[in-house]
Amino acid sequence: MTGLIAVAAALAIGIAAFGSALGQGNVASKALEGMARQPEAAGMLRTNMILALAFIESLSIYALVIAFLLAAKI
Amino acid sequence: MISALHNIGMTDGMITSSIITIVLSILAIVAGRHLRIVPSGLQNAVEMAVEGLLNFFSDIMGRKLARQYLPLVGTLFIYILCCNYSGLLPGAGEINGLSAPTNSINCTAAMAITVFIMTQVAGIKAARGPKYYLHLFKPVAFIAPLMAIEMLVRPLSLSLRLYGNVLGEETATHVFFQLIPIGVPVIMQALSILMGLIQALVFSLLTAIYLSEACETEELEAHE
Repeated sequence: MTGLIAVAAALAIGIAAFGSALGQGNVASKALEGMARQPEAAGMLRTNMILALAFIESLSIYALVIAFLLAAKI
Repeated sequence: MISALHNIGMTDGMITSSIITIVLSILAIVAGRHLRIVPSGLQNAVEMAVEGLLNFFSDIMGRKLARQYLPLVGTLFIYILCCNYSGLLPGAGEINGLSAPTNSINCTAAMAITVFIMTQVAGIKAARGPKYYLHLFKPVAFIAPLMAIEMLVRPLSLSLRLYGNVLGEETATHVFFQLIPIGVPVIMQALSILMGLIQALVFSLLTAIYLSEACETEELEAHE
C-alpha cells in the first residue's frame, strides 16, 4: 500500500509537470515570437506572458500540493 | 526569547513576518517623517520605488484605480518580496525564528482572503450597492453558478500558487543539497531569487486585475 501511495505521488506531479511544461512552452514561444516581430509591444507582452505562465503553473502547483499530501501519508 | 514565543504558539514564519513588518514600517516612518518637495537620500529612494510601482500598476488598472488601490497592491508586492527573500537568508529554516513566512499556507491564505474581501468591497463601492453581483448573470443567466465558483475559487488558487511555489522551491533545494552539497544548491538559490520576484509580481498583478475587473463591470454598464 505504501509503495502504491509513493507511485501515486510521483505520477501526480509527473503528469502535471508534463502537461504544464507543454503549455508553458507554447506560451513562451508565441510570446517571444510576438516580441521579435513587434519589439515595441514587448513590455505588455511580457506582463501578459508572466500572467499566463502563472495560471498554467498553478495547475501543476495543485498537483504538487496533492503530491505533498500523499507523500506525508507514506 | 524565541522559545518563549514558540511556547505561546508562534511559528518561525510568524516571527519572521513580524520582523519584516516592523522593519518595513520603521523604514516607511523614517522615510516619510520630514517630507520635502525636493527629495534627497532615503525619501528619494522610497519615492522612486513607489513611483515605479505606481507606473507598473497604472499600465494594468489605469491611473485612477492604481492611485486608489496602490496602498493594497504595492504593500502586497513589497511584503511578499521580502517574505520570499527572507527564505534565502543564511540559515533560514534551520535556525530558530527564521523561515520564509510564505512557505506556510496560513500566511498566503490570510493575504488571499484579504484580497477576496477587498475585491468584493471595491466592486460594491464601484457599483454603489449589491447590484455588483448582477455581473455573475452577465452573458447568460444559467452560467451564474460557474461564475460564482470561479469567484470563490480565486482566493484558493491565489494562496495555493504562492505557497506551493515557495515550498516546492525550498523542498527542491533541500533535496538537491542532500544529493550534491556543493555547487548545485547555489544554482537553485539563484533560481529562487528569480522565483521570489516573479511570485510577488504575480500575486500583486492578479490582485490588481481582480480589482480592476470588479470596478470595470459597472462602468461598462453605465456607459451603455
